[in-house]
Amino acid sequence: MPATAADNQATKSDVRMMVTLNRQPTPNSKTPAAECACPVIRSSGFSLYYGAKIGVKDITMEIYPCSVMAIIGPSGCGKSTFLRSINRMNDLIPHVRTEGLLEVDGQNVYDKRTNLINLRQQVGMVFQKPNPFPKSIFDNIAYGPRLQGIRRKEELQHIVEQSLKAAAIWDEVKDDLRKSALALSGGQQQRLCIARALATRPRVLLMDEPCSALDPIATGRIEDLIGQLQSTYTIVIVTHNMQQAARVSERAAFFCLGELIEYDRTEKIFSNPTKKQTEDYVTGRFG
Amino acid sequence: MNLGVRRTLDRLFTGLTGASIVLLMLVLMAVLGPMIYRGSGAVLFDGTVEFRRMQRDLFNRADRDALSAEIAETDEARQVVYEMIDRFKKGIDIAAMSSQAREINREYGGELRYRDATAEEYTESREVARTIRDKLEEAFGSQDIELIRKNIAEVLAHKDEPRFKGTVAERFFPLATDFLDAAEHIDLSHYHDYLVALDEVEVLLFGSAERPGLLGPRPNQVARPLAMTSYGATRWDQAQALLDRLVWAEKWVEKEPGRPLVKERSPRAAMFHGTALEPLFTYVPEHIDEMLRPRFTVYWQFFIDDNFDSHYFGGVGPEIIGTLLITVVGMLFVVPLGVISAAYLVECASEGPVMRILRMSINTLAGVPSIVFGLFGLAFFVLFLFPKLGFEPKACILAASLTLAVLTLPVMIRASEEAIRTVPRSYKEGSLALGASRFRTFVTVTFPAALPGILTGVILSLSRIAGETAPILFTGAVAMGPVPKSIFDPTRTLSYGSYDMAVGDRLAMMVPHNQYGMVLTLIVLILILNAVAIVLRSRVFKKLKGH
Ligand SMILES: Nc1ncnc2c1ncn2[C@@H]1O[C@H](COP(=O)(O)OP(=O)(O)OP(=O)(O)O)[C@@H](O)[C@H]1O
Ligand SMILES: [Mg+2]
Repeated sequence: MPATAADNQATKSDVRMMVTLNRQPTPNSKTPAAECACPVIRSSGFSLYYGAKIGVKDITMEIYPCSVMAIIGPSGCGKSTFLRSINRMNDLIPHVRTEGLLEVDGQNVYDKRTNLINLRQQVGMVFQKPNPFPKSIFDNIAYGPRLQGIRRKEELQHIVEQSLKAAAIWDEVKDDLRKSALALSGGQQQRLCIARALATRPRVLLMDEPCSALDPIATGRIEDLIGQLQSTYTIVIVTHNMQQAARVSERAAFFCLGELIEYDRTEKIFSNPTKKQTEDYVTGRFG
Repeated sequence: MNLGVRRTLDRLFTGLTGASIVLLMLVLMAVLGPMIYRGSGAVLFDGTVEFRRMQRDLFNRADRDALSAEIAETDEARQVVYEMIDRFKKGIDIAAMSSQAREINREYGGELRYRDATAEEYTESREVARTIRDKLEEAFGSQDIELIRKNIAEVLAHKDEPRFKGTVAERFFPLATDFLDAAEHIDLSHYHDYLVALDEVEVLLFGSAERPGLLGPRPNQVARPLAMTSYGATRWDQAQALLDRLVWAEKWVEKEPGRPLVKERSPRAAMFHGTALEPLFTYVPEHIDEMLRPRFTVYWQFFIDDNFDSHYFGGVGPEIIGTLLITVVGMLFVVPLGVISAAYLVECASEGPVMRILRMSINTLAGVPSIVFGLFGLAFFVLFLFPKLGFEPKACILAASLTLAVLTLPVMIRASEEAIRTVPRSYKEGSLALGASRFRTFVTVTFPAALPGILTGVILSLSRIAGETAPILFTGAVAMGPVPKSIFDPTRTLSYGSYDMAVGDRLAMMVPHNQYGMVLTLIVLILILNAVAIVLRSRVFKKLKGH
């Protein structure tokens, strides 16, 4: 495929140009979050093992509120692993073991006393493949609030409407909320999943390649959405699309072979990385 | 390969597929066709007036006035038959006639004692009566027509004697004339054969204590204890068969020595050639319609009626109720248990030697013969568990349902396990990521998504529970008995009833329509239950797919 080949051979200056062209300044980007608040997520020396196999190793980083943080890196380098560690989704996998410290809001995630349900309500997640439940649109969105014990119809309706609006899908589905969520298109489903995650009113939103199954237009909408959401939420996004990372994020982390290679402001990562590996990767010379 | 060859091959395969489908249908028809045909005979048939009488008497179900009128009309047509038989009997039934003569003599003696007569008169009258009796008995027992004529003439000579006027002894004389009349028309050397042949005819027409006849018992005959012999042919096909046997006598004869016997049919009328009974064999076939009044009947009450005389009459109502009860109670155990076990196996259990053994046990259990489950149910539920729980240790619906539940549990577990396992992981992860507990996730997301597969398990176990016989043999099924009042009573079921009719007694062979009717009812019941489950499943499936 010629397009991919061209992408791969893109030079450093191409990327730089792309970054300057596409980066749309948001109000927040003027005032770096790092200077105005303490970190929401803090990991220090965090490692995760799948049995004897290393998932991620010795990650130390801080993620600040009301910003978008992108994780990039080659396939199998532990991006998803790290993301899923934050809301402990790896618990489902047998023989998983962790070391080091990972905190959300100053609370140790892997502490025995951590209330998993509270944690996951604080830290919402959007998956690579849209995964709406085989229920109606309304029931999908109301799922989280109902778990929190909200039973009143009006209140639920209010939350559903707010979440759908926040996820920029309200206009497309408002006519028939009873319709099955599976009858929506892939892009709509993904925005629905974002709305579903927003309905629990989380502080952090984890997104694992949310646009990889979508076409450019749907991708564009979700990127716009991320731009809007970053004023209220802390967003961590994993992506293979370097342009996307450059467009939406404020800070970026480069992972390789389970290790955090570099973590800095996005402009710096893309235009002037400190590490050779990072430079090779973002300019497409990796591997 | 060139295009022409490929196209020919394509057509060949299509043709083969079509042919095999047609073949399959034909086989199915060949298997089910006769059963459906015979089974439907339990509900759709030509019912005779005897059927309607039976329905009135046993099930209190009739248009009484119309039926009485109809019975009166048929009785009129039957009267001719009764008279013919009686006429013929008068010359033939020696034992009856002799006892009648003796009876008259005895009664006459009794009457004499209350008359004011002298001792001589008394002794003489007694003497004359005794002579008449002896002469009659001699005539009855004789095969010599001359002697008969002489004896009867001597008896009739006493006819006008005043001592017999107005007494019971007057009955001697019609007895004598009737006998002479009959004796003139028959070959006396064969009267014993007549006796046997007449008995056969009477059984065919009026039935006996064991078998029903064409017309049923005669109006003033003593009531028979069994319902089945108290009525004539209730169905037109049955009437036709009996009529055939009435008109044609069957005999096994040895045509050639050493060869198997051959069945030979000969007209029964020939046996009674020249006698008063000969016209019977033309009268009955010609007037059978008037005597029985066949009419097309839809006996839908077959599905609600109880039965009489081991399913000779009536339907399968209690059997249907019993089958449904056992099925419902069984499903109440097997579905929750199966789903919970499957959920445990998929969601909670960690793989290991214990799990492997457990899985192997479940698979092995699915292959154990059902009679073993029956004995297990008897030993474990009835004899061991029930006394421990304070129940009476007897076979009952609960025990049968529990046994069937154990029998079908492996099927249910495996189907549910498969269904739960194939629920996409992303559903589960989505729910967990929203802060749902694992239990909550199972109940609200995994279970509904697995429901179609679980319903498949339900369909599979439903059919087995409703149709199995061996497991309930010792644990809750009976061939006869009242409708159960609670789940602690034993019950009749369609499956066990079919089995019992097949092996039980000769009676079932006389009513194959009821036997096939019961089997067909079982099949249809299972089909209906399955259809309900299938419709339910497709509804759930559609809902899940979002159409
Ligand atoms: N359930 C698991 N059991 C064992 N090893 C696993 C498991 N999941 C992931 N791994 C391993 O952990 C490493 C990191 O996986 P991870 O999914 O985090 O990669 P990733 O960076 O998200 O890759 P991609 O970009 O392809 O999604 C990989 O080498 C993978 O083989
Ligand atoms: Mg990944």
